[in-house]
Amino acid sequence: MNTFKSILIILCLTFASCGRVEKKGLVKFIVAGNRIERAERFTLVQKNRWTEVKIIDPWQGATGVNQIYYLVKRGSVLPGGVDSSAVIFVPLKKIICMSTTHLAMISALGEEQTIAGVSGTNFIYSPAIIKNVEKGLVVDVGYEANLNKELILKISPDLIMIYGIGSESSGYLGKIKELGIKVIINADYLETDPLSRAEWIKLFGALYCKENLADSLYKSEVDEYTRLKSFIVQKTTNKPKVLLGLPFKDTWYISPGNSFISKLINDAGGDYLWMDTESSISMPFGLENVYLRGLKADYWLNIGSVSSRNEISNVDPRLDDLPCFKNDNLFNNNNRITVNGGNDYWESGSLYPHLLLKDIATILHPELFSDHELIFYKKIN
Amino acid sequence: MKTVKQNELSVDPDSGRKVRLIFSGLLLLVVIFLILDIFLGSVSIKPLDVIRAIFTNSHGDFETIILKFRLPKAITALTVGVALSLSGLQMQTVFRNPMAGPDVLGISSGASLGVAFVILGFSSNVTPESLNGLGNWILVTASWVGAGAVMLLIMIISSRVKDIMTILILGIMLSAGISAVVTIMQYFSNETMLKAYVIWTMGSLGNLTVSQLNVLLISVSAGIILSLFSSKMLNALLLGENYAGSIGLNVKFARAVIFASTSIMAGSVTAFCGPIGFIGIAVPHIVRILFKTSDHKVLIPGTILMGGVVMLFSDIVSQLPGSESVLPVNAVTSLIGIPVVIWVILRNRKYTGSF
Repeated sequence: MNTFKSILIILCLTFASCGRVEKKGLVKFIVAGNRIERAERFTLVQKNRWTEVKIIDPWQGATGVNQIYYLVKRGSVLPGGVDSSAVIFVPLKKIICMSTTHLAMISALGEEQTIAGVSGTNFIYSPAIIKNVEKGLVVDVGYEANLNKELILKISPDLIMIYGIGSESSGYLGKIKELGIKVIINADYLETDPLSRAEWIKLFGALYCKENLADSLYKSEVDEYTRLKSFIVQKTTNKPKVLLGLPFKDTWYISPGNSFISKLINDAGGDYLWMDTESSISMPFGLENVYLRGLKADYWLNIGSVSSRNEISNVDPRLDDLPCFKNDNLFNNNNRITVNGGNDYWESGSLYPHLLLKDIATILHPELFSDHELIFYKKIN
Repeated sequence: MKTVKQNELSVDPDSGRKVRLIFSGLLLLVVIFLILDIFLGSVSIKPLDVIRAIFTNSHGDFETIILKFRLPKAITALTVGVALSLSGLQMQTVFRNPMAGPDVLGISSGASLGVAFVILGFSSNVTPESLNGLGNWILVTASWVGAGAVMLLIMIISSRVKDIMTILILGIMLSAGISAVVTIMQYFSNETMLKAYVIWTMGSLGNLTVSQLNVLLISVSAGIILSLFSSKMLNALLLGENYAGSIGLNVKFARAVIFASTSIMAGSVTAFCGPIGFIGIAVPHIVRILFKTSDHKVLIPGTILMGGVVMLFSDIVSQLPGSESVLPVNAVTSLIGIPVVIWVILRNRKYTGSF
């Protein structure tokens, strides 16, 4: 019995230390000449002959990790005294993207012809880029550790854009860098504020020497989002309660209150049921716990990948008893998907947060935008 | 050697009272842990509210939690503990191997392969969510077939190769081979399916619908009845197959009965709850140590009770009472079972005597 007790104690300690990761918030460095307003994960500084990009804590759980890149105009002299592997020649002519979420920002700048390779072409939503895949202009370069290095070498891109990976993937990265190919980490998905995430278009602006276009796209997004937000605040009094996600077996991963989606719900005049939680990752909660709170929910959003009420019942028939299920208030973010599973919510959703906001506000307050047709969301019947 | 063992098997009248005492103690523990499992969970509910929820028809939120979540989960935990421990005991005897258990000899791996074919093998337009409904029946059957196939293979090998270590190593190789196949399937499957499969491998007791629970109860009951009938056969097999044959036991028939009950029990548990490790191997050892006997007339009921106790305890721990989070139950059973197994290995020299 003593062994059992000590195990129990160890388990409790482990849980206490890692169950609720208190994110202290990144210390925002004031960098002279930084052109970034909101985003916390990168800075962009215009120097005399180049642009300095700093990606801050580029993967989940990273602290004090800074990746610095120097964007140098083609034909210019290399900056002296810097690591040449961190020098990226701009404007880019060929890029490989490890995530489909970067495609929308490149397309928005009118540079989709530069995309030469994507990891997981099946998950692309953009019809224009899918057409390029069919023509063979965009190839699938494989996944993470099983990246097709020979293919990448053959494409010989100016840059490979990767996303939040920890030290475990440094192996394959090292190999690519050894081949002389430039790699940049994009940490936009770690931004918890919708507008911060949209601001990453400025990185692409710098990479394609289209800073002005990127700035104006970002600015109009900020204006539109802020306008909608204050309109919603003025016109609404009640705050419908919102439940998110779907359980896996008896565990329900809950997005914390400081996440991208919870901020959207809050701005859209909703009351996310776990707004009081704070964590940098989804939290595994017990099903009965979530269920109990879920009984209060008026609306249920982002319900896994389901498209029908039946699929929810199949996951767990007990979910049928939730009032939001009975009242038919189910909406999922898979309105724009391809047969292969590409979902535009993940592709252009992060570039146009005001559209996400408008969708969610329309769901929670149908009277607000009576003429708005849902774009990313659809009602689950 | 054989005479010593026969002495061990004969019931000593003095120890009869002691055995009864341990049995009543275990029974009490089962009841206590069953009640605790219903009272403790990730939602804190006052004991009075729990009692009210069970005995009155209030239709409150707590009643839903107790009756729809905790009660089925507690019953599942009890059933799973019994089924895995009992199949572990039977395998240890049939293979005459202290390290045998559903998860060690590849039975669980076989069931996993069946499940992997169902979860990962379907085309991408079948979502794992939709498989949870009708697919549960496919899941169980696939799991049975997988568990049965591996069990059959191990049986065939063990009828030709007598050495325990060789069989054990072959079992480990078989598991490794199966997990390699599963790895390949994981590599080619999409993220949602992958996540569904990974979560399944972590084990879960709280997701069974009433109809699934019924299937589990029926199949495990069948397994228990078969093993209660086979206690004599198991005792005889413990003395070696040649000896068992010489006292008039139909070895092939005995093996088939034990084979069937083990596959049914381990297979259905694995299908519904995932591969739950180390219960099957650890519990029989705890029971042998507790009762100091190798008589299956004592071991089988003892294993049934102890299996229930250990699994209920694991479930309570995995719920981390009072906190919102939960742990995968498989991690808890492993942490409890592994020390027992290590201990058995360390005193193995003394222990081989029982086989």
